[in-house]
Amino acid sequence: MTGDGRRCWRDLDELLDTPDFREALGREFPAGAAELADGMTRRSFVRLLGASIALAGVGGCFERPRERILPYVSEPPESTPGVARHYATSMSLGGFTTGLLVESHVGRPTKIEGNPDHPASLGAAGVYEQASILQLYDPERARTARLGRAKASGSEVAALLSPARLGAAVGASGAGLGLLLEPSASPLSAEMLRRVRERYPAARVHFYSPLGSHASDRASLTAFGRPLLPQYDFRSADVVLALDADFLAGGPFSLRYARDFADRRRIAAPTDGMNRLYVIEPGVSVTGGTADHRLRVRAVEVESLASAVLAAVIRQSNRPGMPGRQGIPDSVASVLRGVEPPPRHREWIDAVARDLTAHAGRTIVVAGERQPARVHVLAHLLNAALGNAGRTLRYIESPITEAGASSHELGPLVEAMRGGAVRALVVLGANPAYTAPADLDFGAALRRVPTTVYHGLYQNETARACHAFLPSLHYLESWADGRAWDGTASLVQPLIAPLYGGKTEAELLGALLGDAEASAHELLQDLWRGRMTGTDFAGAWDEALQRGVIAGTAAPETTPTWQWDAIGSVLSRSPPPADSSLELVLEQDPSVYDGRFANNVWLQELPDPLTKLTWGNAALLSPATAARLRVATGDVVALAYRGRTLRVPAFLLPGHADESVSLRLGYGRGAGDETLAEGVGANAYRLLTSDMRMFGGGLAVSPALGDDGAPLRDRLASTQTHWRLEGRPVALRATLDEYRRDPAFTAPQRGRVLSLYEPSPGGGDQWAMVVDLATCTGCSACVVACQAENNIPVVGKQGVLDGREMHWLRIDRYFEGSAEDPAVLMQPMLCQHCEKAPCEYVCPVSATLHSPDGLNEMVYNRCIGTRFCSNNCPYKVRRFNWFDYNAEVAETERMAKNPDVTVRGRGVMEKCTFCVQRIREAQIAAGIEGAATGEVRTACQQACPTRAITFGSLNDPDSDLVRRRAEPRRYAALHELGTEPRVQYLAAITNPNPELPRGDGGE
Amino acid sequence: MATAVSSGPAQLTDRLLAPAWTPSRVWWVLFGISGAGTLVLAGAVAYTVATGIGVWGNNIPVAWAYAIINFVWWIGIGHAGTFISAFLLLFHQRWRSSINRVAEAMTLFALVNAGLFPLLHLGRPWFFYWLIPYPTRMGVWPQFKSALPWDAAAVATYFTVSLLFWYLGLVPDLAAARDRAPGRTRRRVYGVFALGWRGSGRQWHQYRVAYLILAGLAAPLVISVHSIVSLDFAISQLPGWHSTIFPPYFVVGAIYSGFAMVLLLLIPIRRAFQLEDIITERHLDNMAKLLLAMAWMLIYSYVVETFMAWYSGNVYERYTYLVERPFGPYAWIFWGMLTANVVVPQLFWSRRLRVSAPVLFAASLLILAGMWTERFIIIVTSLNRGFLPSSWHFYVPTWVDWSILFGSVAFFFLLFFLFLRFVPMVAISELKQQRHEASTAASAVAAR
Amino acid sequence: MPALFSRSSNRTIRLTLAAAAAALVGIPLALMAWVRTPAITGQRSAPPQPIPFDHRIHVTGLQIDCRYCHSTAERSAPAGIPATTVCVPCHSQVWRDGPVFAPVRHSLATGRPIPWQRVNSLPDFVFFNHAIHVRKGVGCETCHGRVDRMARVEQAAPLTMSWCLDCHRGPERYLRPVEQVTTMGWQPPGGQAALGRELVRRYHVSRLTNCSACHR
Repeated sequence: MTGDGRRCWRDLDELLDTPDFREALGREFPAGAAELADGMTRRSFVRLLGASIALAGVGGCFERPRERILPYVSEPPESTPGVARHYATSMSLGGFTTGLLVESHVGRPTKIEGNPDHPASLGAAGVYEQASILQLYDPERARTARLGRAKASGSEVAALLSPARLGAAVGASGAGLGLLLEPSASPLSAEMLRRVRERYPAARVHFYSPLGSHASDRASLTAFGRPLLPQYDFRSADVVLALDADFLAGGPFSLRYARDFADRRRIAAPTDGMNRLYVIEPGVSVTGGTADHRLRVRAVEVESLASAVLAAVIRQSNRPGMPGRQGIPDSVASVLRGVEPPPRHREWIDAVARDLTAHAGRTIVVAGERQPARVHVLAHLLNAALGNAGRTLRYIESPITEAGASSHELGPLVEAMRGGAVRALVVLGANPAYTAPADLDFGAALRRVPTTVYHGLYQNETARACHAFLPSLHYLESWADGRAWDGTASLVQPLIAPLYGGKTEAELLGALLGDAEASAHELLQDLWRGRMTGTDFAGAWDEALQRGVIAGTAAPETTPTWQWDAIGSVLSRSPPPADSSLELVLEQDPSVYDGRFANNVWLQELPDPLTKLTWGNAALLSPATAARLRVATGDVVALAYRGRTLRVPAFLLPGHADESVSLRLGYGRGAGDETLAEGVGANAYRLLTSDMRMFGGGLAVSPALGDDGAPLRDRLASTQTHWRLEGRPVALRATLDEYRRDPAFTAPQRGRVLSLYEPSPGGGDQWAMVVDLATCTGCSACVVACQAENNIPVVGKQGVLDGREMHWLRIDRYFEGSAEDPAVLMQPMLCQHCEKAPCEYVCPVSATLHSPDGLNEMVYNRCIGTRFCSNNCPYKVRRFNWFDYNAEVAETERMAKNPDVTVRGRGVMEKCTFCVQRIREAQIAAGIEGAATGEVRTACQQACPTRAITFGSLNDPDSDLVRRRAEPRRYAALHELGTEPRVQYLAAITNPNPELPRGDGGE
Repeated sequence: MATAVSSGPAQLTDRLLAPAWTPSRVWWVLFGISGAGTLVLAGAVAYTVATGIGVWGNNIPVAWAYAIINFVWWIGIGHAGTFISAFLLLFHQRWRSSINRVAEAMTLFALVNAGLFPLLHLGRPWFFYWLIPYPTRMGVWPQFKSALPWDAAAVATYFTVSLLFWYLGLVPDLAAARDRAPGRTRRRVYGVFALGWRGSGRQWHQYRVAYLILAGLAAPLVISVHSIVSLDFAISQLPGWHSTIFPPYFVVGAIYSGFAMVLLLLIPIRRAFQLEDIITERHLDNMAKLLLAMAWMLIYSYVVETFMAWYSGNVYERYTYLVERPFGPYAWIFWGMLTANVVVPQLFWSRRLRVSAPVLFAASLLILAGMWTERFIIIVTSLNRGFLPSSWHFYVPTWVDWSILFGSVAFFFLLFFLFLRFVPMVAISELKQQRHEASTAASAVAAR
Repeated sequence: MPALFSRSSNRTIRLTLAAAAAALVGIPLALMAWVRTPAITGQRSAPPQPIPFDHRIHVTGLQIDCRYCHSTAERSAPAGIPATTVCVPCHSQVWRDGPVFAPVRHSLATGRPIPWQRVNSLPDFVFFNHAIHVRKGVGCETCHGRVDRMARVEQAAPLTMSWCLDCHRGPERYLRPVEQVTTMGWQPPGGQAALGRELVRRYHVSRLTNCSACHR
């Protein structure tokens, strides 16, 4: 193992000699990279490597291998060995950026957190952002460029793109040049593309992302003649209607939206008000699970229901005493006059419409990306009719380059490729060979292009199909910029010198313009030198780097100019007949996004918020539909859709719409370097068609038969196999009215229990946590945060099947009520740090015991693995290292480990420690200053977008923690056991519309 | 009459020692089979220690399974020997003499097996010695609040005492073997172990005292060991474990399975070595009666356990006892267990069945299986559905679990066959003494 | 028939039994003693260093404060091993070209660090922080011994857990005024007992014996 360690070291030593590194030394920031030579880093590594041996007993006894200490040659001023530093940068996904703070241990980024100053984050970080650190260290990232079959240097491939070489192939005007990028709001890319267009006026530049915001852009083009982007302010919305929109999770701005939404849901006292959320959707999304009322309908019906709501709203606005119809012209209103909701939904629609109009001006209607332009138009109209514009939402110009333009369609490019018009194609980032609609047959079209160059992190499906490949840089290695959903620009600065070399997107475009050695850093500075306000550029630049946002770049509000005729004609076009056939719904995956994170083990093993599935996708359908189709969870079914068939295991999801099957994208990755991702789950893109509709009717489902004719079954690795609470007082819930009528409804579940033992002494810091179930959406950001902070290993699909997942913090998901239309309850479950901990007294070697500040400590190096503690833990939050899970961790991946936390070896128990390393760090710092312990924030608390987790000391009277623990809806899970947990919950409170029956089928 | 007395003992001794001198072909076959099985055990254990106990089926929540089941099962079996030797001796149950040697040997071998599992089931077995209270370099001690250090101590003590007890009982017979063994080497070997026994009156006197003292020491251990083992479960708050009836419940179950194992071994021996006159129907009858008695104590425990669960009104207790066990995923094992442990022994109400070797043999086999599954029910069905429904998980053993279980059985029989081969399997001296007393009593009557 | 055993065999047997009994007790005791010997703890071991850096000259001779080279001892977990450039100011005047100094020149020339050998090494699951110990008045000498007398630095303490606990369970026996932390051979005026209690009070020193104080 130490052997590995040394090898790992040699690699990095070599790395110190790479040109990138010397260059890096010169650069402004990555001086940190020099610290790779520092002994403490080395020590941290040896610590990581050694720990597992030590825990495996070898080092545990006596012998300690002699270690080398390699100090600096000359100490860089900004760093103190052993003290972690945070740097601001930002990550782009789906074209928009989220501001981040990245923790760096002497030049080695180890943990990603949100940037409180960034509007899209406000300090929170989602699963994608946090897991992206693992992508940086992914051993399967491409390390070298490639020409044909042979390895090549980056410059060789860059030379291929030089005007001299390329011009010959594609003509002076670039008529034969094709450029395929991902949608982006980066000013730098936009600028580079502008220059490319200057150089090659006839070049075909296209943007493609299967999850892009194209529909909404086209809608706003129709409605306003401009690609306007609605900016919702959920803090001022009393009633929210989501039309198949999962705005609370996975979207470019959902961290912010979730925060704002939660601020109106977090009620300190029964008297407080609360917002109300209606959701119309086919599957069960995170947003849907949070809803007060969910209407489960097939995706194809959403459109007609939306217009029905609009019609009803207009009708009711006409009634006297109602606010005016907010100037929707009769031309449009008349179109909707006749529209009636389907009888079985009439009651629901009318109630919602009444609720919306009653709160006109304080409501929001959101349309989902997946829904067609018409639904987005309807949402715009609803917001207009309710007078929300200017109050709860404002419009801005979409920051996306060429938003809504035809360049965002893939079809034309593929046509040109197939027709031979494209002589050279450069693909940047996107992975069309995998994500392109199946009927486009991108692969075939690609073969018709003489020169194809792929630029990306991995040699993936597309890269394999291209002649030349040039590795791109991970954003933690790059200089770049980007814009957030609200237009705020921020810089991307590297945290570490490139591990394997490569070029950023801007640098590659630079090469296309003839500057083969273009440096993104210079390009970026040149661009912003002109744009940054203030005379002192250097100062502004440094501030932008430090704060992580460029001041005053948020997009200004624009007043939309309504194109009533266009709208009228769109609406009057009769909606497609909502046939009653079985429908297929494709959706973004909460773990692997569009498949780009499929090689990320953290995300593969992250349980889906609703199904709790890991390592793969499944055809989700409602119990009723499953019964009709005679399939059970685990049966492999063949989905026949528009001439293509896909085999995928079925999964029964309570609350799913009937006659609808939803399937997550991003799995079933093809042959490429990403061997982890390969063949995990089924490739839903094979059912995606070029009209880019993410859903449609006419799906046929039949049980898939094996060669022997027997029905096939597949084992789905779900981390939670039982869904019902069995009436146990674990996750409590009440409606707002019930809460107001009986504020003490959780009283039986709190307070002291009769006990022979003394109450624990309460001096000094006394750490405790409060988790608010009313605002927990189940998004799972906390789970990844915990995994990253605490070096939690992954166990693989078989491990999950065996019930051995290692997550210290899990989110239990319960369904209440009928299996058809249940209420969803999310409960983060972690070590409850019981004051009377059952695990402690049964350990024969005192490997787990109580600290004076109220922590239930787990001492890995003392544990001998009797597992008695786990047996006696009523919350089953303890995890056991059944094997040496860190043995297979790649050398590069070890760099992602947190040096402040022991890496556990085989045969020891582990569990949530309340991030004790952070607590002790704070206490030591305080001790050095001779002050009281400052604020300590756990990783999960930090990541949570809705601030559902509060942590602090019970003896700190003016802390949030103490305040929230005083709330009447506080309770302890399994209180009657007398474990007196330090983690306490605030019961979930929902705010259903009294006019409507409870969504969860009563009780 | 006198001749009979003088010739009888010698013949008896020779008869009982004969198998030791000349192993039959059957012996070699059985030896080979059990030896092979033992190799399987060794392989599985090596594999486990090298790879990690992840090769077993255990998971969270079912963190304990086969290893602990086997441990409790073997310990239980290990109770009969000492019970027969110590208790029956103290209660002057003379009939014990013909079976106590086998029973004691069985106890030892069961304990050897049992001892294997607590070590093996550790995540880091190489640190097992941290369970022992000694001044460590770390300046820390085991935690005595936990039942496990006590458990280790109890089992170790019990093994030591059982070993001494068994060996002490052997000494006179080893001497007999020494005097009769063909060939000088064997005589020397037996001689060393006979520790220079001459059978002088003084030696006999001290021998009896020592034997009685050891019996006195061993008797309480029979109760204590399994009581402490039961605490491994009872001190937890897990429904299905958290019960005050566990200590007596476990002890009864232990002796129950112990007797079953004794019968399982005696019946074939009796047949193979034509010992019908030594291990008489009376022995079978008594053993069967004991089984029946134990069965009813066990039934009482079952009833009380379940009643208490219901009476407590505790939702978790009720779920475990009234839903999970009788109707849960492992219900078929539960009902099978009840059949074996409750229904089968009821046969012994009939004397005819009590003395029928085949019936007894089959019954003991079933009861042993039943007692193993009882431990499975206690451990697995309590763990797999605990307090939080979210953490419920099924348990499935792996091939390693099975090989270790069957391997340990094979290992047990390997040791036992070696015992048959090299050690007098019946307490010859005690028998002779009894017969002598019996005959002298008879002659006294005749004389009058 | 000849006697099976000679007379002497009685004694042999008795001795064997006695020896067995002795081993039963003796071997564990021997092991316990053995793991406490320097052979295992590494106490007093002094690995060869690339440069024969002599603390006697620098500390006793030149009276250089520990923190001049071990600069982060008061700020961070590691005390800090001096960067090559730290040597330069003095050694650009004296001892510039000696063969002894070759590694330093090489390091400066190539920009590659000097490969020192670690002397005091803790297991990887132990998190020791110099700063807090220094600030609470634990002298360098208390753990590192009379470095001022070491030609080649050696591990002064056994660095076993019980050794750590010895101080953590009764810090008053070892603390000294913060000003005296780097002093070598410091003697408590008026005895440790009184002063120790006073310092414990003054520096708010608590008996940190909970596991996560060191194991995380």
